[in-house]
Amino acid sequence: MIVCVAVVGHQNNPLYIQSFTEADDALKLHHIVHCSLDVVDERVNNPKKSGPTLNETFLGLLYPTENYKVYGYLTNTKVKFILVTTDLDVRDADVRNFFRRFHSAYVDAVSNPFHVPGKKITSRTFAERVSTIVKSFGLSSAG
Amino acid sequence: MGREVSESCVESLLTEMVSSYCTRFYADKPDLAARRIEAIGYQVGHQLSERTQSEPKPVYEANIKPGYTMERPRFSDHLEAIKFICKDFWSELFKKQIDNLKTNHRGTFVLQDNKFRWLSRMSVDPSPENTGSAQDPSTDENKAAQATSMHLYFPCGIIRGALSNLGIPCAVSADISNLPACE
Repeated sequence: MIVCVAVVGHQNNPLYIQSFTEADDALKLHHIVHCSLDVVDERVNNPKKSGPTLNETFLGLLYPTENYKVYGYLTNTKVKFILVTTDLDVRDADVRNFFRRFHSAYVDAVSNPFHVPGKKITSRTFAERVSTIVKSFGLSSAG
Repeated sequence: MGREVSESCVESLLTEMVSSYCTRFYADKPDLAARRIEAIGYQVGHQLSERTQSEPKPVYEANIKPGYTMERPRFSDHLEAIKFICKDFWSELFKKQIDNLKTNHRGTFVLQDNKFRWLSRMSVDPSPENTGSAQDPSTDENKAAQATSMHLYFPCGIIRGALSNLGIPCAVSADISNLPACE
Protein backbone atom coordinates (compact mmCIF):
# COMPACT_ATOMS: atom_id res chain seq x y z
CA MET A 1 0.00 0.00 0.00
CA ILE A 2 1.38 3.34 -0.96
CA VAL A 3 1.88 5.54 2.04
CA CYS A 4 3.27 8.70 0.51
CA VAL A 5 4.33 10.24 -2.79
CA ALA A 6 6.45 13.34 -3.16
CA VAL A 7 7.74 15.58 -5.93
CA VAL A 8 10.96 17.41 -5.19
CA GLY A 9 12.37 20.12 -7.43
CA HIS A 10 15.90 20.41 -8.68
CA GLN A 11 17.02 22.54 -5.77
CA ASN A 12 15.60 19.94 -3.40
CA ASN A 13 12.61 22.14 -2.72
CA PRO A 14 9.38 20.21 -2.11
CA LEU A 15 6.79 20.74 -4.82
CA TYR A 16 4.18 18.25 -3.74
CA ILE A 17 3.90 15.89 -0.79
CA GLN A 18 0.83 13.77 -0.25
CA SER A 19 0.35 11.00 2.25
CA PHE A 20 -2.33 8.40 1.87
CA THR A 21 -2.77 6.99 5.35
CA GLU A 22 -4.51 8.66 8.23
CA ALA A 23 -2.64 6.88 10.95
CA ASP A 24 0.96 7.70 10.25
CA ASP A 25 2.60 10.85 11.33
CA ALA A 26 3.01 13.18 8.36
CA LEU A 27 6.24 14.51 9.76
CA LYS A 28 7.84 11.09 9.84
CA LEU A 29 6.98 10.60 6.18
CA HIS A 30 8.42 13.98 5.29
CA HIS A 31 11.57 12.98 7.10
CA ILE A 32 11.82 9.73 5.17
CA VAL A 33 11.39 11.59 1.91
CA HIS A 34 14.04 14.08 2.91
CA CYS A 35 16.54 11.36 3.76
CA SER A 36 15.90 9.64 0.48
CA LEU A 37 17.03 12.78 -1.36
CA ASP A 38 20.54 12.12 -0.11
CA VAL A 39 20.42 8.64 -1.54
CA VAL A 40 19.26 10.01 -4.87
CA ASP A 41 22.15 12.45 -5.01
CA GLU A 42 24.57 9.72 -4.12
CA ARG A 43 23.26 7.42 -6.84
CA VAL A 44 23.51 10.16 -9.42
CA ASN A 45 26.98 11.31 -8.51
CA ASN A 46 28.62 7.97 -7.90
CA PRO A 47 27.37 5.58 -10.52
CA LYS A 48 28.07 1.98 -9.61
CA LYS A 49 29.25 -0.12 -12.50
CA SER A 50 27.12 -3.04 -11.42
CA GLY A 51 24.07 -0.95 -10.73
CA PRO A 52 21.64 0.61 -13.17
CA THR A 53 23.22 2.54 -16.01
CA LEU A 54 23.93 6.20 -15.67
CA ASN A 55 21.14 7.30 -17.92
CA GLU A 56 18.16 5.60 -16.37
CA THR A 57 15.34 7.75 -15.14
CA PHE A 58 14.07 5.08 -12.76
CA LEU A 59 16.44 4.75 -9.81
CA GLY A 60 14.85 1.74 -8.20
CA LEU A 61 14.70 0.87 -4.55
CA LEU A 62 16.55 3.58 -2.69
CA TYR A 63 16.65 2.05 0.73
CA PRO A 64 14.43 -0.06 2.93
CA THR A 65 13.63 1.23 6.43
CA GLU A 66 11.89 -0.67 9.23
CA ASN A 67 8.44 -0.69 7.68
CA TYR A 68 8.79 1.08 4.38
CA LYS A 69 10.37 0.78 0.99
CA VAL A 70 11.34 3.94 -0.82
CA TYR A 71 11.58 4.16 -4.61
CA GLY A 72 13.04 7.01 -6.58
CA TYR A 73 12.75 8.43 -10.10
CA LEU A 74 14.76 11.27 -11.57
CA THR A 75 13.76 13.22 -14.65
CA ASN A 76 16.01 15.02 -17.11
CA THR A 77 15.07 18.31 -15.54
CA LYS A 78 16.38 17.09 -12.18
CA VAL A 79 12.92 16.76 -10.67
CA LYS A 80 12.67 13.80 -8.32
CA PHE A 81 9.67 11.65 -7.60
CA ILE A 82 9.75 9.67 -4.34
CA LEU A 83 7.40 6.82 -3.54
CA VAL A 84 7.06 5.35 -0.05
CA THR A 85 5.23 2.07 0.25
CA THR A 86 4.58 -0.55 2.89
CA ASP A 87 4.13 -3.43 0.46
CA LEU A 88 6.55 -6.25 0.97
CA ASP A 89 6.41 -7.78 -2.47
CA VAL A 90 6.34 -4.98 -5.00
CA ARG A 91 7.07 -5.82 -8.60
CA ASP A 92 9.55 -3.65 -10.45
CA ALA A 93 7.22 -3.36 -13.42
CA ASP A 94 4.44 -1.98 -11.24
CA VAL A 95 6.61 0.73 -9.80
CA ARG A 96 7.94 1.71 -13.22
CA ASN A 97 4.41 1.88 -14.53
CA PHE A 98 3.40 4.00 -11.55
CA PHE A 99 6.21 6.45 -12.14
CA ARG A 100 5.45 6.69 -15.83
CA ARG A 101 1.85 7.69 -15.13
CA PHE A 102 2.92 9.97 -12.33
CA HIS A 103 5.39 11.67 -14.64
CA SER A 104 2.72 12.31 -17.23
CA ALA A 105 0.38 13.77 -14.58
CA TYR A 106 3.24 15.97 -13.38
CA VAL A 107 3.95 17.25 -16.90
CA ASP A 108 0.31 18.18 -17.33
CA ALA A 109 0.29 20.01 -13.99
CA VAL A 110 3.45 21.95 -14.82
CA SER A 111 2.15 22.95 -18.27
CA ASN A 112 -0.50 25.02 -16.55
CA PRO A 113 0.33 28.64 -17.44
CA PHE A 114 -0.73 29.74 -13.98
CA HIS A 115 1.73 27.45 -12.31
CA VAL A 116 4.90 29.19 -11.19
CA PRO A 117 7.92 26.94 -11.64
CA GLY A 118 9.54 26.36 -8.27
CA LYS A 119 6.40 26.88 -6.25
CA LYS A 120 4.20 24.10 -4.89
CA ILE A 121 1.76 22.40 -7.19
CA THR A 122 -1.71 23.50 -6.14
CA SER A 123 -3.79 21.95 -8.88
CA ARG A 124 -6.74 19.90 -7.69
CA THR A 125 -6.79 17.98 -10.95
CA PHE A 126 -3.26 16.84 -10.28
CA ALA A 127 -4.19 15.73 -6.77
CA GLU A 128 -7.13 13.75 -8.12
CA ARG A 129 -5.08 12.11 -10.83
CA VAL A 130 -2.42 11.16 -8.31
CA SER A 131 -4.93 9.56 -5.98
CA THR A 132 -6.40 7.63 -8.91
CA ILE A 133 -2.96 6.35 -9.87
CA VAL A 134 -2.21 5.43 -6.26
CA LYS A 135 -5.47 3.52 -5.90
CA SER A 136 -4.92 1.57 -9.08
CA PHE A 137 -1.39 0.72 -8.00
CA GLY A 138 -2.75 -1.00 -4.93
CA LEU A 139 -5.25 -2.98 -6.96
CA SER A 140 -2.89 -4.22 -9.62
CA SER A 141 -0.29 -5.58 -7.24
CA ALA A 142 -2.88 -7.21 -5.00
CA GLY A 143 -4.33 -9.13 -7.96
CA MET B 1 -5.57 15.06 -23.26
CA GLY B 2 -4.25 15.98 -26.68
CA ARG B 3 -6.23 18.70 -28.34
CA GLU B 4 -4.87 20.33 -31.46
CA VAL B 5 -5.17 23.73 -33.05
CA SER B 6 -4.41 24.73 -36.59
CA GLU B 7 -0.95 26.03 -37.33
CA SER B 8 -2.25 29.27 -38.80
CA CYS B 9 -3.85 30.06 -35.44
CA VAL B 10 -0.51 29.67 -33.72
CA GLU B 11 1.24 31.85 -36.28
CA SER B 12 -1.45 34.53 -36.02
CA LEU B 13 -1.14 34.48 -32.24
CA LEU B 14 2.62 34.95 -32.42
CA THR B 15 2.38 37.74 -34.96
CA GLU B 16 -0.25 39.50 -32.88
CA MET B 17 1.78 39.06 -29.72
CA VAL B 18 4.83 40.71 -31.25
CA SER B 19 2.76 43.48 -32.76
CA SER B 20 0.87 44.21 -29.50
CA TYR B 21 3.99 44.31 -27.39
CA CYS B 22 5.80 46.54 -29.87
CA THR B 23 3.07 48.98 -30.70
CA ARG B 24 0.71 49.02 -27.75
CA PHE B 25 2.22 47.84 -24.50
CA TYR B 26 5.75 49.12 -24.76
CA ALA B 27 5.42 51.42 -27.73
CA ASP B 28 8.44 53.60 -26.99
CA LYS B 29 10.59 50.99 -25.36
CA PRO B 30 11.52 48.27 -27.82
CA ASP B 31 14.07 46.84 -25.40
CA LEU B 32 11.46 46.23 -22.75
CA ALA B 33 9.11 44.71 -25.32
CA ALA B 34 11.89 42.41 -26.48
CA ARG B 35 12.69 41.33 -22.96
CA ARG B 36 9.04 40.68 -22.15
CA ILE B 37 8.57 38.57 -25.26
CA GLU B 38 11.73 36.65 -24.46
CA ALA B 39 10.48 36.03 -20.92
CA ILE B 40 7.24 34.59 -22.26
CA GLY B 41 9.31 32.34 -24.50
CA TYR B 42 11.40 31.31 -21.52
CA GLN B 43 8.40 30.03 -19.61
CA VAL B 44 7.01 28.25 -22.68
CA GLY B 45 10.36 26.58 -23.33
CA HIS B 46 10.60 25.54 -19.70
CA GLN B 47 7.24 23.80 -19.79
CA LEU B 48 7.67 22.35 -23.27
CA SER B 49 10.96 20.76 -22.36
CA GLU B 50 9.31 19.02 -19.39
CA ARG B 51 6.69 17.63 -21.71
CA THR B 52 8.98 16.62 -24.55
CA GLN B 53 11.59 14.90 -22.45
CA SER B 54 8.99 12.79 -20.71
CA GLU B 55 7.57 11.30 -23.86
CA PRO B 56 8.72 7.86 -24.75
CA LYS B 57 11.28 7.67 -27.50
CA PRO B 58 10.52 5.49 -30.52
CA VAL B 59 12.16 2.18 -29.79
CA TYR B 60 14.87 1.06 -32.21
CA GLU B 61 17.10 -0.91 -29.92
CA ALA B 62 16.67 -4.67 -29.93
CA ASN B 63 17.37 -5.23 -26.28
CA ILE B 64 14.28 -3.51 -24.93
CA LYS B 65 12.16 -5.87 -22.88
CA PRO B 66 8.61 -6.12 -24.17
CA GLY B 67 6.03 -4.38 -22.01
CA TYR B 68 8.26 -1.47 -20.97
CA THR B 69 8.05 1.99 -22.46
CA MET B 70 11.48 3.49 -22.46
CA GLU B 71 11.61 7.11 -21.52
CA ARG B 72 14.40 9.30 -22.64
CA PRO B 73 17.65 8.51 -20.86
CA ARG B 74 19.18 11.32 -18.87
CA PHE B 75 21.66 13.54 -20.67
CA SER B 76 25.26 12.95 -19.81
CA ASP B 77 26.66 16.24 -21.02
CA HIS B 78 25.83 19.53 -22.68
CA LEU B 79 26.26 18.19 -26.18
CA GLU B 80 23.59 15.56 -25.56
CA ALA B 81 21.18 18.22 -24.36
CA ILE B 82 21.88 20.42 -27.39
CA LYS B 83 21.36 17.44 -29.69
CA PHE B 84 18.05 16.81 -27.98
CA ILE B 85 17.08 20.42 -28.71
CA CYS B 86 18.16 20.05 -32.33
CA LYS B 87 16.33 16.83 -32.98
CA ASP B 88 13.42 15.99 -30.72
CA PHE B 89 12.52 19.40 -29.36
CA TRP B 90 12.72 21.10 -32.74
CA SER B 91 10.62 18.31 -34.32
CA GLU B 92 7.96 18.81 -31.68
CA LEU B 93 7.82 22.52 -32.35
CA PHE B 94 8.44 22.81 -36.06
CA LYS B 95 8.03 19.28 -37.47
CA LYS B 96 11.61 19.28 -38.71
CA GLN B 97 15.08 19.06 -37.24
CA ILE B 98 17.82 21.63 -37.14
CA ASP B 99 19.72 21.57 -40.41
CA ASN B 100 23.18 22.34 -39.17
CA LEU B 101 24.89 22.35 -35.77
CA LYS B 102 28.30 23.90 -35.26
CA THR B 103 30.32 24.31 -32.10
CA ASN B 104 33.59 25.80 -31.08
CA HIS B 105 33.94 23.22 -28.31
CA ARG B 106 34.24 26.01 -25.83
CA GLY B 107 30.61 26.50 -24.98
CA THR B 108 29.23 28.17 -28.10
CA PHE B 109 26.82 26.34 -30.38
CA VAL B 110 25.36 27.59 -33.64
CA LEU B 111 22.05 26.05 -34.67
CA GLN B 112 21.03 26.72 -38.21
CA ASP B 113 17.55 26.25 -39.55
CA ASN B 114 17.27 26.84 -43.28
CA LYS B 115 13.53 27.15 -43.37
CA PHE B 116 12.29 28.58 -40.09
CA ARG B 117 8.61 27.87 -39.99
CA TRP B 118 7.41 30.92 -38.13
CA LEU B 119 9.13 33.30 -40.55
CA SER B 120 8.28 31.47 -43.74
CA ARG B 121 5.42 33.83 -44.47
CA MET B 122 7.09 37.09 -43.56
CA SER B 123 7.65 39.73 -46.15
CA VAL B 124 9.28 43.10 -46.06
CA ASP B 125 7.28 45.96 -47.44
CA PRO B 126 9.23 47.63 -50.27
CA SER B 127 8.68 51.23 -49.21
CA PRO B 128 8.91 54.10 -51.67
CA GLU B 129 10.93 56.25 -49.22
CA ASN B 130 14.24 56.23 -51.01
CA THR B 131 13.17 56.28 -54.62
CA GLY B 132 15.49 59.19 -55.28
CA SER B 133 18.66 57.18 -54.91
CA ALA B 134 19.57 53.77 -56.20
CA GLN B 135 18.36 50.96 -53.98
CA ASP B 136 21.18 49.94 -51.71
CA PRO B 137 21.25 46.22 -50.97
CA SER B 138 22.38 46.92 -47.43
CA THR B 139 19.25 48.92 -46.64
CA ASP B 140 17.17 45.99 -47.80
CA GLU B 141 19.02 43.78 -45.38
CA ASN B 142 18.57 46.30 -42.61
CA LYS B 143 14.85 46.45 -43.19
CA ALA B 144 14.65 42.67 -43.18
CA ALA B 145 16.67 42.51 -39.98
CA GLN B 146 14.51 45.10 -38.27
CA ALA B 147 11.28 43.49 -39.31
CA THR B 148 12.26 40.06 -38.14
CA SER B 149 14.35 40.79 -35.07
CA MET B 150 11.33 41.27 -32.84
CA HIS B 151 9.87 38.00 -34.05
CA LEU B 152 13.01 36.13 -33.14
CA TYR B 153 12.95 36.95 -29.45
CA PHE B 154 10.22 34.45 -28.72
CA PRO B 155 12.02 31.42 -30.20
CA CYS B 156 15.22 32.54 -28.48
CA GLY B 157 13.33 32.55 -25.20
CA ILE B 158 11.95 29.10 -25.89
CA ILE B 159 15.42 27.70 -26.46
CA ARG B 160 16.80 29.42 -23.37
CA GLY B 161 13.92 28.09 -21.25
CA ALA B 162 14.34 24.56 -22.49
CA LEU B 163 18.11 24.54 -21.94
CA SER B 164 17.91 26.05 -18.49
CA ASN B 165 15.33 23.47 -17.47
CA LEU B 166 17.81 20.81 -18.58
CA GLY B 167 20.39 22.37 -16.31
CA ILE B 168 22.36 24.53 -18.76
CA PRO B 169 22.24 28.26 -18.07
CA CYS B 170 22.87 30.07 -21.33
CA ALA B 171 22.24 33.11 -23.48
CA VAL B 172 20.64 32.77 -26.87
CA SER B 173 20.77 35.22 -29.74
CA ALA B 174 19.40 34.95 -33.24
CA ASP B 175 20.60 36.05 -36.60
CA ILE B 176 18.88 36.02 -39.95
CA SER B 177 20.45 35.99 -43.38
CA ASN B 178 17.70 35.95 -45.99
CA LEU B 179 14.00 36.24 -45.83
CA PRO B 180 12.08 33.87 -48.07
CA ALA B 181 11.98 35.25 -51.56
CA CYS B 182 11.04 34.18 -55.03
CA GLU B 183 12.57 35.08 -58.31
